[in-house]
Amino acid sequence: MPEAPTPHSIDQYRHDYEEGIGLRGFRSGCGFVTATWGLVCPRCGRRDLAEATLSGKGRIVAFTVQNVPGDEFLNDAPYAYVVVELDEGGRITGWIDGIRTESQLSEGQRVEWAPTYKPGVHFRPHEPSSSAPP
Amino acid sequence: MRETWVIGAASNRYGKMAESGREAATRVALAALDSAGIDPRQIGYTFVSNAFGIAEKQAHVGPLINTGLGIPEVPSCTIESACSSSSAGLHEAFVHVAGGFCDAALVVGVEKLSHLDTLAATSYFAMGADFPFETRNGATFPGLYATLANAHQRRFGTRPEQLGAVAVKNHANGAQNPHAQFQKPITLETYLASPVIASPLRLYDCCPFSDGAAAIVVAAREVVRSPPAEPLVIRASARSGSVADMQDRPTLTGLPATRVAAEKAFRQAGLGPAQVDFLEVHDCFTIAEVMALEDLGFYAPGAAAAAEADGETQHDGKRPVNPSGGLKAKGHPVSATGAGQVVEIFEQFNHRAGGRQVPRAEVALAHNVGATGGSCSVHIFGRR
Repeated sequence: MPEAPTPHSIDQYRHDYEEGIGLRGFRSGCGFVTATWGLVCPRCGRRDLAEATLSGKGRIVAFTVQNVPGDEFLNDAPYAYVVVELDEGGRITGWIDGIRTESQLSEGQRVEWAPTYKPGVHFRPHEPSSSAPP
Repeated sequence: MRETWVIGAASNRYGKMAESGREAATRVALAALDSAGIDPRQIGYTFVSNAFGIAEKQAHVGPLINTGLGIPEVPSCTIESACSSSSAGLHEAFVHVAGGFCDAALVVGVEKLSHLDTLAATSYFAMGADFPFETRNGATFPGLYATLANAHQRRFGTRPEQLGAVAVKNHANGAQNPHAQFQKPITLETYLASPVIASPLRLYDCCPFSDGAAAIVVAAREVVRSPPAEPLVIRASARSGSVADMQDRPTLTGLPATRVAAEKAFRQAGLGPAQVDFLEVHDCFTIAEVMALEDLGFYAPGAAAAAEADGETQHDGKRPVNPSGGLKAKGHPVSATGAGQVVEIFEQFNHRAGGRQVPRAEVALAHNVGATGGSCSVHIFGRR
């Protein structure tokens, strides 16, 4: 059996999102939330970071459609790279497949985490028929 | 703190080097020493930058360069700060010389990636980003800056033609620079017809992969007797950092590290943007030049793109920006880029810039960014 990742490690963050277990992050005493690993809050310097399990639901803040892919996404281009503001606060980056032009996305558009067998944090546009609130 | 000068500078032509990085670095270092009119044995420390030396299966290149220069006993170290590596090296050299730890220091930057295929070279570039939290999520380097461009466009209405004006201007400057990788002007039509790499950035928004080497010699004023060329007085040498991942920063329409480094540099120099005659800024992508001019305080947020389109930043304009051709046309040999910007300022101050000579060269600013702004250097130079 593969070794379990060390708690609060980058490996654990990666393991959990790639296995579809959940998106991890932390919430600092100052209210800052991030999905990027760290030991001390980059905003206020506090060390009392509470683990935050993130829903993966949020809105697009900025995006690009990449026609030239990264080396782990060679068969996926074009695809969107997105910065998402999560409902819990804090931002995370990820990618959305099947996006060919900017006109398919918009600022403020709702998206949700949709794990796949492919690498990285994968999102899909929110489907109104799903159970989550818009 | 001692007054510190740049007394010599040299680079090769950026593009594709047949020789190894080590050979090129040693050659330009010797040329810089010759331009300073000093013997290599007068160097007290060598700061070398070669972020992707591992691509040539070579690390610890400092002693190799020093041995090639006949100064094997001189200490060296490698300074890595992604694309701002050799401006970080200049900062360390400044600290050493101004602080009295040595009288003269050599700063060398070199990169060679042309022996790799595009995919491998792209992967090396992406190593400057956060692998698990950016690259692993699909980002390429153009993709990261394209995301910033997307945010800038939506906030300020920045138009493709305005970004195109940056590319056209820098290619026109590069055409006047014998050291530039691209020496051919382009038209706005060519720019607009080029393929989109990562929306909204087109091919001609992006700097190329480049090999290249650049070196500068830094010395304390009190030990310089009769420099053969007009030296640059280092009026400010400032560095800053910011949250490495751009999604966790308070803004996506600029680089906080640039703002902080600029504030420090202007305070150190006792100057403001109005006193700066021309700039070499980090235009790895056209949007990066626009954001740099805003973050450095030369234009209000959202105003730089229009100024670019109005021709204010041309080499004979109101405020020349990147007369060398910038990273966009001169090229971007990662670790050589920061030192190469200073080579251009040295040439401009000595009125040796030919067809790209700026009308006034009394105060200049160099701005060099590491990756998407996790680190940044700002240097301000004046005359003695």
